[in-house]
Amino acid sequence: MVEILIMLELLAPHLPLLDLICIGTGYALSQAIVFRAGTFSVATSGFAALGAYCAAILVVKQGFHPALAVAMGTLLGLLAGLLLAAPLARLRGVYQAIASLAFVEILVAFILYFEHLTGGPLGFHGIPRLVKPWMLVVIMLLTMGMLYVLGQGAIGRAFEAMRQDPPVAASLGVNPTKYHVISFALSGAIAGLFGGLDALRNFSLTAEQFGFSILIATLSAVVLGGRRTVVGPLVGVTILVLLPEIFRPLAHYRQAVYGLLLVVVMAFLPFGVYDTLRLRMRDRRLAREAAAQGGARP
Amino acid sequence: MIAQQVLNGLVLGGVYALFALGFTLIFGIHRIMNMAHGAVFMAGAFIGLFTVRAGLPIWAALPVAMIGAGLVSILIEVVAFKPLRKLALADAELASIISSIGAGLIVLSLGQYVSKTETLRFPFGTVSAEAIQLLGLRVTMLQLLMLGVALLLVVGLAFYLYRTPQGRQVRAVAGNYRTAQLLGVNPNAIFYQTFFVSGAMAGAAGVMVGLAFNAVQFLMGEPFLLKAFVAIILGGMGSIPGALVGAMVLGLFQTLSAAYLPALLVDAMIFLLLFIILMVRPDGLFVQAVTESPTKRV
Repeated sequence: MVEILIMLELLAPHLPLLDLICIGTGYALSQAIVFRAGTFSVATSGFAALGAYCAAILVVKQGFHPALAVAMGTLLGLLAGLLLAAPLARLRGVYQAIASLAFVEILVAFILYFEHLTGGPLGFHGIPRLVKPWMLVVIMLLTMGMLYVLGQGAIGRAFEAMRQDPPVAASLGVNPTKYHVISFALSGAIAGLFGGLDALRNFSLTAEQFGFSILIATLSAVVLGGRRTVVGPLVGVTILVLLPEIFRPLAHYRQAVYGLLLVVVMAFLPFGVYDTLRLRMRDRRLAREAAAQGGARP
Repeated sequence: MIAQQVLNGLVLGGVYALFALGFTLIFGIHRIMNMAHGAVFMAGAFIGLFTVRAGLPIWAALPVAMIGAGLVSILIEVVAFKPLRKLALADAELASIISSIGAGLIVLSLGQYVSKTETLRFPFGTVSAEAIQLLGLRVTMLQLLMLGVALLLVVGLAFYLYRTPQGRQVRAVAGNYRTAQLLGVNPNAIFYQTFFVSGAMAGAAGVMVGLAFNAVQFLMGEPFLLKAFVAIILGGMGSIPGALVGAMVLGLFQTLSAAYLPALLVDAMIFLLLFIILMVRPDGLFVQAVTESPTKRV
């Protein structure tokens, strides 16, 4: 018991890291879900910006209950996802990536412009810290659980088919438009939710916070951890958050470390750390089972 | 007044053209989206700046910067793209984007390290501040230099691609990689050549932009890359004449909207334009009937 208390005491100064991991995992899950459905959209940070500013404005200026404000942020993210799904469905591959990048940049520019609402270039300050670390952990785990359950069912199979071969998926009765819209709605809602939580945790918001750099951080986390499982994004975010903390001298070169990780992982573990490990373990198990069966046969 | 803005727009368009041509060259030939192109541009500006500071005149510093940026570009090819060629095409698309973002981050942090996160300036009088009157317009020496360099390099690129044996090999690889290889073209040599040309043009653009705003800093490439997407998409990704026209349109659009709109809305307008182009004409203005439509490519 005493040991646990001491451990908690030791961990307490690192609680902000836990916050970062939870929020980052939320964003990464939102990013991973569109990848899973075979869409190359990077709109997550845009959805997150909508959720964050919505929650912050409702709490600070309208006096909403924080839970309600976050719910509204989630809803706004979901709506944005639905709206963006139709135009992006017309495009493929890199064109989707560029269009969603444009969406994020338009949002950032508007946040900077509508100063009376968002604080403009100076940022939005004076947000009360209402979200506790344990809430973040619970919500993150619930989101992961929900995505896991969805992934096991019809939606997961449809996403898998669409990613691997859209024409074959369509010929097997998967309605590509429907599942495309579902993936965007989920992505928007999750990013909106964690954006709202991020706003009520961080005291202040700036537009740059949701620009190109968070987009890269999210993308890196998903690619690093693995983009086909629910655990992959968590692994990726944890590595990216903890690595500069563990190797303190590296903290100054955070960007370079990110960059190096991306290049090396893409070259050697193209499916990400967690997913590649899982694939290897599955291959080994199958090989073992095959060997056992082969041995049993006369 | 408007004629002066048009002139300024064309000068800016010339610089965008240098940048966009290098990007579109790589995409057109290798189907690679080089997200590190902005970092190469920044590297070119740095090399040019330090050469000028070492005492060389600008007409000597420009070729040095171009060669330096070209070598950085080759290095990125070797580190970030070469290991990915074993992947299937669908996987390689995402992998090369992520990997080049990583390579770009490494170059970026090198720039940050070298400049100590400061904005560096060219020494006073690097380019004469004189202006001449031409048909009632005020043209600075710098603008003349920018237009001249852009024109020279674009003509040079066209000559290289369409009038030299090397250019014929490059076009053969763009047409069909396997066939070109069977006909005795060394693909690696083509990769090095095209990445060098692409990087050298970005480097020239970097020096020009560094001179025009008299500011060289490690983050200068990223917004430039994002905006250059307008030029690249408008002309059709991979199309050389398209990128040229797209860059001119972008230059004019940016200067005119900067002259008549609130400054904070200029970026929003540019990215809105990008989004609309992608929705209306994702193939750009110069689609050839024989090329595959990118919207149908899976």
